[in-house]
Amino acid sequence: MLLSPVEVLLQELGPRLLRASHVGARKVPTRPLATGLREIDALLEGGFPRGGLSEIAGPVSSGRTSLALALLAHTTRAGEVAALVDAADAFDPGSAEAAGVALARVLWARPASPPEAARCSQRLLETHGFALVVLDLAHAGRPGASPRLPRATWQRLARAARATGTALVVLSAAPCTQGCADLALAMQALRAHFAGTPTLLEALEIEAAVARQRAGAQRRSASLRLALHLRAA
Amino acid sequence: MRTACLLVADLPLVAALRAEPDLAGCALGVTSAAGAHATLISVSPRAARRGVWPGHTLAHARTLCAALVARVASPAAQGAARQALVDAALSCSPRAALAAPASGALAREAAVDLDASGITARFSSEAGFAAALGARARRLGLPAAVAIASSRRVARIAARLAATARAAQPADETPTQLVPPGAERAFLAPLPLDLFDPEDPLSEACTRFGLHTLGDLLALPPRALATRLGPRALEWIALARGEASEPPLPRLRERRLVEAIDLDHPIERLQPLLFVLQGLLTRLLARLEARHLGCGPLDITLDLASGAREVRRCGVAAPTRDVRVLVRLAHHALEARRLAAPVQAVHLASEGHPLRRDQLDLFRPAGPSPAALGQTLAALASLCGAERVGAPAVPDALHPDALAMTPFAPPAADAAPNASQRMRAASAAPSRDAAATRPSETRSDFTAALALRALRPPVSAQVRIQQQRPAWLRSAVANGRVVRLAGPWRTTGGWWSHDARFAFDSFDVQTSDGSVVRLRLDHVQRVWQIDAIYD
Repeated sequence: MLLSPVEVLLQELGPRLLRASHVGARKVPTRPLATGLREIDALLEGGFPRGGLSEIAGPVSSGRTSLALALLAHTTRAGEVAALVDAADAFDPGSAEAAGVALARVLWARPASPPEAARCSQRLLETHGFALVVLDLAHAGRPGASPRLPRATWQRLARAARATGTALVVLSAAPCTQGCADLALAMQALRAHFAGTPTLLEALEIEAAVARQRAGAQRRSASLRLALHLRAA
Repeated sequence: MRTACLLVADLPLVAALRAEPDLAGCALGVTSAAGAHATLISVSPRAARRGVWPGHTLAHARTLCAALVARVASPAAQGAARQALVDAALSCSPRAALAAPASGALAREAAVDLDASGITARFSSEAGFAAALGARARRLGLPAAVAIASSRRVARIAARLAATARAAQPADETPTQLVPPGAERAFLAPLPLDLFDPEDPLSEACTRFGLHTLGDLLALPPRALATRLGPRALEWIALARGEASEPPLPRLRERRLVEAIDLDHPIERLQPLLFVLQGLLTRLLARLEARHLGCGPLDITLDLASGAREVRRCGVAAPTRDVRVLVRLAHHALEARRLAAPVQAVHLASEGHPLRRDQLDLFRPAGPSPAALGQTLAALASLCGAERVGAPAVPDALHPDALAMTPFAPPAADAAPNASQRMRAASAAPSRDAAATRPSETRSDFTAALALRALRPPVSAQVRIQQQRPAWLRSAVANGRVVRLAGPWRTTGGWWSHDARFAFDSFDVQTSDGSVVRLRLDHVQRVWQIDAIYD
């Protein structure tokens, strides 16, 4: 009996064929968002998770902003678009450019308060196409404290990030995501290096520790030296 | 040269129906003003069949036709309809211009002259061109008559003649009149002189002489006519013979389109206003489509009942023809700031831009779609303020507190290096000098760079000085003994202006609590401040 080409294909490939409706439902592992910093990427097993909420918490001069700028630089130089919701109004474009951030690929929103910042982040997360949204809450409102947003807000933001596959990274002075983060990094300053004649600030040594990671071993840390790149005038 | 004329015989009625298409088929009357004693200036065919005519007062018309729907004539809507007629013409010909308005009984008509030379290269025949032109006008809500002749005046007269025959034709057919080249004299001869302009004194004089048609006029010796009726009679004779000379039509370069409407009742709330805007946007987009363009940034001008005028601008990330996107953008623009008074008239203006096609990359992730990005930008501008949303930029200024933002428009995919270019860049070692001068473009590796966090505004600090250097610091961000210190570096500028001058001595300071901050002495205000944190 002669078989039609379709029947031949079905016989040969039958077990390996998928229904079209199931293709979208398959869980495709996504590549994490790397920072380009070898020590940090090794610590995070590749980088910050796409479609997840990550938190970078630490006191003043603990390297939170440097880490966020490295992430922004690596993301934007790969041709992706990122957003920065700057509730602290602390973003320094000159410093970001020196860190390698492609400024034209960064959408900078400067909301006046943390609740407004949460609404901005929600809007950005609902927009498909942003690879990364950084929500800077460190020192928003008054220096030295991170504002408390309701747990429901964090849950909503985490859900929105999951839906669009965008990495949401929150910067804060102290842990504030109330257990909703897929990844929490605790930052700490180790020492500052001043050297030369005349004396100049050369670098800052910091330590990053994984305080929480949903799919990975807990409590690992790495130290890193952050060098000061002077911007050409 | 062949010229076409696209003519709407009753502009007030057509403008009212274009603004409210649901009224088509109703007994509709357009009045010159509000109130029962206002005079009707236009009536729909259904109202005319019930005995209602222009010139009746609204009260009188309602006694003849109780179901008569009345609308006040909107000069803004008529202006927009006139411009839409030009757009319909431009969709078929590169040269078109609004014809001079007529007076008297013909004052209600609107006409556009367009160049019809060589149209058989694109359309099968002049009749096909006329049908296509009529269909484009109908798509913009303008039932119009089309005529083609060898001169503009003859074409207009022919279009008037065609428009009078409209009632006998199906609604989806265009009344058309074609005057073949050289046949102007035969075509015009039997027509009444009133088709020129009944208010013209020359027309009245001809009637007194017993001349009723152009044929009567042509039968008389021109010199004798000029002696009795003046030199303008010679113009009419030249016109009737198809010998009139006319300047060429201009090529229209204006891309700004305006849609507008005067509201019968002022609107106070946002939702009804959005409903009106949706109608205007739909008509604006239809006009842009006729020109094969998309909608760029929108200017919404609102005339308020208080006499004031408010202008709201909606940025559009990329030209679009999606009415839902534009309504959402208008919504964000309107809710960002409360209106001071009810709205009496709405004007919508936009420049047409060619639609942008996105070329997706197989190896690079797609960014946000222009439509979605436009909505997001509008929502963020509504939340934070338009001046607080954009792309960061390094300010071209010496002042340490200077800040710069540019409109956010991420570069196209091909602006970033592709995979092969990146591989080539990685294999070629960049020079040290280049890396130092343009770090963001030439450094292929990512070093751990120490970042600054700006403090806006700077935080004031109390400083104890020992041996002319800060020794102890107290502030909201850093406290304690100064452990290490670098500096000072002096920055000065704005010396030419008392208000703009500045002079700072900056120090990089590490305090005993572990903070590393940038401390500065403001020589103008004589205060210590912390303007940035190393983080």
